[in-house]
Amino acid sequence: MAQHKINYTQDGGLPVALTSIDKIVNWGRSNSLWALTYGLACCGIEMMASGASRFDFDRYGTIFRASPRQADVMIVAGTLTKKHAEFIKRLYDQMTEPRWVISMGSCANTGGMFNTYATVQGVDRIIPVDLYLPGCAPRPETLQYGVMLLQKKIRANKAGNAQKPKRLM
Amino acid sequence: MAQITNRLTPFFENITFDRDDNEIILNFGPQHPSAHGQLRLMLHLQQEQIVKAHPDIGYLHRGMEKMAENMIYNEFMPTTDRMDYIASSSNNYGFALAVEKLIGLEVPRRAKVIRMMLLEINRIMSHLFWLATTALDIGAMTVFLFAFREREYLMDIIEGYCGARLTHSAIRIGGVPLDIQDTFLIQLKTFLDKLPQNIKDYEDLLDTNRIWLMRMEEVGHISKELSLSWGCTGPMLRASGTAWDIRKEEPYELYDEVEFSVPFSDKGDNFARYRIYMEEMRESAKILYQTMDMYAACVKNNQTELMAHAPKYISASKLDIMTQNYSLMQHFVLVTQGMRPPVGEVYVATESPKGELGFYINSQGGPYPYRLKLRAPSFWHTGILTDLLPGHYIPDVVSIIGTTNIVFGEVDR
Amino acid sequence: MRAYTPKDNVQAKPYYTDRFYISPQVPKEAIENDAVFAADLAAIKAKFEVSDAYIQVGQMVVYIHAKNNYGVLELLRDELEYTQLTEMSAIDWLAKENKFEIFYQMLSMNKRKRVRIKMFIENGQAVNSVNELFRSADWSEREMFDMFGIEANGHPFMKRILLPYDWQGHPLLKTYPLEGDEFAAWYEIDKIYGKEARDIIGPELRDPARVDRYDSERFARLGFEVPKGTVITGHEPKTEQSYQEEGGVFMIKKFDKKSSVVIDDPQR
Repeated sequence: MAQHKINYTQDGGLPVALTSIDKIVNWGRSNSLWALTYGLACCGIEMMASGASRFDFDRYGTIFRASPRQADVMIVAGTLTKKHAEFIKRLYDQMTEPRWVISMGSCANTGGMFNTYATVQGVDRIIPVDLYLPGCAPRPETLQYGVMLLQKKIRANKAGNAQKPKRLM
Repeated sequence: MAQITNRLTPFFENITFDRDDNEIILNFGPQHPSAHGQLRLMLHLQQEQIVKAHPDIGYLHRGMEKMAENMIYNEFMPTTDRMDYIASSSNNYGFALAVEKLIGLEVPRRAKVIRMMLLEINRIMSHLFWLATTALDIGAMTVFLFAFREREYLMDIIEGYCGARLTHSAIRIGGVPLDIQDTFLIQLKTFLDKLPQNIKDYEDLLDTNRIWLMRMEEVGHISKELSLSWGCTGPMLRASGTAWDIRKEEPYELYDEVEFSVPFSDKGDNFARYRIYMEEMRESAKILYQTMDMYAACVKNNQTELMAHAPKYISASKLDIMTQNYSLMQHFVLVTQGMRPPVGEVYVATESPKGELGFYINSQGGPYPYRLKLRAPSFWHTGILTDLLPGHYIPDVVSIIGTTNIVFGEVDR
Repeated sequence: MRAYTPKDNVQAKPYYTDRFYISPQVPKEAIENDAVFAADLAAIKAKFEVSDAYIQVGQMVVYIHAKNNYGVLELLRDELEYTQLTEMSAIDWLAKENKFEIFYQMLSMNKRKRVRIKMFIENGQAVNSVNELFRSADWSEREMFDMFGIEANGHPFMKRILLPYDWQGHPLLKTYPLEGDEFAAWYEIDKIYGKEARDIIGPELRDPARVDRYDSERFARLGFEVPKGTVITGHEPKTEQSYQEEGGVFMIKKFDKKSSVVIDDPQR
């Protein structure tokens, strides 16, 4: 059997860190934000690009999941149309608490350039949104910065069960 | 206040419980990672085999044709970006060409060369993206990462040219707004020199890969009659035995001056389509080399014009607008009221990476088109799933959707 | 007195039109200029009534009677080698003459020619489906029904395609506004939350130029962020947003610009 010799008085000392429950829970939550692949339109391509080789989303702990039941954050990337609106509500309801929503791009924020009969004028008419990313389409850097801001927001919250579920109405 | 939850009924409307056959109805989408967007498929299954497929589209219908009727021609240009958002310049170009044909405009040669470069870069970008996503759907993550790496290089070049990564709006009615930047040709050449090796890398990974072959060969066979009847174009048509490429048959721009071949196959299955995408990337690289020479010739012959000269329709150059009073007035009128093309109608087809991208414009002499119909290839490539999927098995659905290369901005418009 | 707004065409109107401006025409050529088209037209004329035919921008346009559409397209496909129905749709002329114009865009790959077959139908009249000739007409006719409300006789599945089945109105009619009618404006709210939620959620904001600095619900205040719904007094403290808290974060290294390498050439 191998003998590991650890000098607890050197190299940063004991491998023990003291922290509070809130901090450690939020640390875990914020650094493993699994995102729902919700590429609706053009922004979905930039979302894919941010997950691909150059931008590499995995280093934030953000891994795209295909199922809402495994996802923490829904990145609404693209135009939400009135025909699709009911499905975004269904998928949002299927996600487990705590859950966050990033509205990516002008179309998801306000309807953007598609000021027409078929477009929902802002995804926040259907589900509550935590973060709005401007741009048409936002660059992958914007999305990654947005995720970092969301992590900051998560860290600022209490981690307990007493969190009020977000409801639009 | 009492919480009002949603009113949505459980999602069983497409399932009938009292059927006495063994048919299962599988609802696929509209949010499915392999559906390349918002495709919803209702699949009737006997065990694992599909007996009836019913594609449901429209989940990305944004009313672009209606928007076109309410916009001046130049205003509509950014909207075309969002159609086939994998290769936006090809949409810009299709629309610009249609309007140019309508008003009978001849574009300067230098602008034509730059347009061809943009179009072919977009074609390679689109095919790389197709390769990446299809490989990812089938499970080859490595190819996804590789292909996106090369795509990012091209995006850098495009970004240096027009400032946008995805939605370029890089082509204007009457020409191009800018000359290419200094580093454009150097970057492009670096990329093109590497491209054959890159394509070979993908082929090494895929061509003899057993899983890839099993999911591609003899799957999704489209006969020649079916492909013609469904209005298939582009690689979908060429894989089914019709060598029809609009660049070759009805040349626009300077495609009659460049040498390239049109790859086609009569196999008609997924693998044939995959091979055609790969070959087309090589052909595009060939065209790009030639356009680089053509651009050098333009520089040598001092052909500096980038926009057509047509004061009734096209604004003058920036320099003229800033110095000439009349040019400024005319620019003001064109921006506020819009150009008024002649009365008439035009249908212009261009070969976008997906297939035949057509714009039908009916102009009644006003600044807004009276009717604009976007003929997007993916619309029919989605429709063919109705006839294509029955007889296949559930895992084949993903690879068939992958090789049809549908983009939902274009299907639903 | 309110300004009169026409009801039959609610699309955007040019705000200025020169009364004496005569619009030029896209030139129409005679069919005789092109031997292939002349032969094709003669073949069509031998069997069917043709009201008008000309060449415009390199493509032949043939006006036929609406009852003949199946026959003409069959003739084109089987005898004249026009093997693809590239596109079909309608144009709304209801305001002018209470008619729809329907066009079929045909392509012959052997001849490298394109032909546009056009016909007029009355408002409310149905067309004959050409789904059996060209499968591509299956979805095109559904789209035409969706957008204009023109039904196709003999179509196997005449339902909406792009819009939901329970949608009201046909959007590409000139009487349909770009931003949708009352039904379209509340469609998703009615469906998901019910009509009583309309008051809570409120109407759509359709003005793209609207800016309200006192509205903290809908507008961000860059550099002066406040929580949603705060009443704006104008004395909000300046806040600086950084991706990480000042004091550092538990177990996460802060990015230090000085000790990082910046790659100028992404293709190196």
